[in-house]
Amino acid sequence: MSVHAQPEQYGLADLLCCAASREVGNNEIVFAGTGLPMVAIMLAQNTHAPNLKLIFEAGTLDGRPPELPTSVGDARCEMGASRASGLYDAFSIAQRGYVDLGFLGGAEVDQYGNVNTTCIGDYLNPELRLTGSGGNPDINSFAKRTVFIMVHEKRRFVENVSYITSPGWRVKKWPGGQFVHRRELYGSAFRGGPSAVISTAGVFRFDEETGLMYLDTCHPGKTPTEIRDLCQFDLDISRVKGETVAPTLEELRIIHEVLDPDEIFIPKVKKG
Amino acid sequence: MSTSKRTTLQHAAEIITDGSRLTFSGFTIWRRPMAIVFELIRQHRKHLHLIEVQGGSHTEFLVGAGCVDIWESCWVGHELYGKYGANLSRKVADKQIIVEDYSHAEMMFRFAAAASGAPYAVTQTSLGTDIHNPEYDMLGRAGLRDGKRIAKHKYQFTEDPFFGAGSQVLIPAAKVDIAVMCVQQVGEEGTVRVNGQYYSDPEVARAADITIVMAEEIVPEEYLRRNADQNTIVSFEVDHILECPFGAHPTGMFGRYDVDGAFLKEFYGRTRTQEGFDDFANEWIHGQNHMSYLEKLGWPRMLNLKANSAMNYSPREKKGGK
Repeated sequence: MSVHAQPEQYGLADLLCCAASREVGNNEIVFAGTGLPMVAIMLAQNTHAPNLKLIFEAGTLDGRPPELPTSVGDARCEMGASRASGLYDAFSIAQRGYVDLGFLGGAEVDQYGNVNTTCIGDYLNPELRLTGSGGNPDINSFAKRTVFIMVHEKRRFVENVSYITSPGWRVKKWPGGQFVHRRELYGSAFRGGPSAVISTAGVFRFDEETGLMYLDTCHPGKTPTEIRDLCQFDLDISRVKGETVAPTLEELRIIHEVLDPDEIFIPKVKKG
Repeated sequence: MSTSKRTTLQHAAEIITDGSRLTFSGFTIWRRPMAIVFELIRQHRKHLHLIEVQGGSHTEFLVGAGCVDIWESCWVGHELYGKYGANLSRKVADKQIIVEDYSHAEMMFRFAAAASGAPYAVTQTSLGTDIHNPEYDMLGRAGLRDGKRIAKHKYQFTEDPFFGAGSQVLIPAAKVDIAVMCVQQVGEEGTVRVNGQYYSDPEVARAADITIVMAEEIVPEEYLRRNADQNTIVSFEVDHILECPFGAHPTGMFGRYDVDGAFLKEFYGRTRTQEGFDDFANEWIHGQNHMSYLEKLGWPRMLNLKANSAMNYSPREKKGGK
């Protein structure tokens, strides 16, 4: 059966990629963003979820790229796809409710899973303007589950994000801006929300009623209190299940020999 | 056809006058009309209002060169080759540009509304986010919402009057003066055939009052009409056409050439400051024309990017990365 790698045999990017891959169920329709999520989904496609259907935001529907695309607009996306079309199709399909799972990233996240990719500091006088929303809020509004992959730093796991780019479990009701449960705002379009945050420290999930984040597993070598100290809010560590499962040797082989041999998104662990 | 739609790079850029509301073909770093963008910078175009489904490298060039007053969109960067739009960030911090943020789907649906002649689109995306924060209506804050060139409101909320599906957001049609497209093939009468993902090209071409198509090649119209089911944009939606091989460089084009990642990485690295941008523009844009630009790139570099005709991408191009 599957043999798990020893700590010296894999890197943090490998661990994140495999943890993300395990969020994918077989037969699910998955919305893929650029970067590590793309490798994670293709890993799932090559292991436990051969029937998953992959949508690239730029317009590739049910894609099976034989070679890793560098972005969702890449010519490499189309080969083997059911259909190559455009963004109107991709977003209509998402709004229609076809999408089970989306993988996303962010610069900041708060305890409700609200994510910021727009600016650091006051929006009207930003310290740093970032890329902007892209499809982050759209995928997060339309998919049944979303998984965020993030670098874990205390400045990124904050009480309140500078700008809510992408909606978590408790969001702002306009024009007043008071926090309400997402279910209240989305009405019959409510399908779910962020189901996991996979950071460089651990895996986090959400209590769907309170909307609050809790620690699910710690990455090998990290303790729950260490991880709580890496958050600006009071992280719930009472529900920790243990350690994040290490990559298997087979997963590592697929990542580095089949999917990303050129180390575009996932560096190889240097030996010796 | 009684009149020819053919134009030149210089004239195509002249059609885009100061203050135009402008949009583009492509997606982030793919099929952007770079040769026309460079010509606009050479001609010192000013006060442009970009309305884009999403930005990309072309946005960063125009913004860095000071051509843009308003950017209405959702994302800018160079994907793997530059993680955010350094020129836009700088101009936002210095308050030299107005940014109006929408979500990606909102921008797409806004163009779909404009393309079908509807005044607005309705959606349930991005509810509860700061995209709908009334304090962050930047065009409103600037007093620019005249209800003519720019919509009276950034968005409006309404309840579904038909099925009781709850809160809906109405977003104004993306009304633009000009769409500048970069595609693989255009016929002499304007029929466009896009190969690969067509992104938001059909909607932006239809939404714009004037559509300019720069193609890798102008082909006999009759050739495209032999397989009309494979065509992407109808002849009469296109006003001007021109042929410009490698016109999307440094962005990529399905079936023709890959993204020049090294070029974009260098641009991103060198243009964090205005001095850096000006220096880059002096090297690659000012005093050049498209042919001298290609000469400067050189055949070896271009051949390395050239797509394999069976695979539609270049198996030689090293994609960069970690």
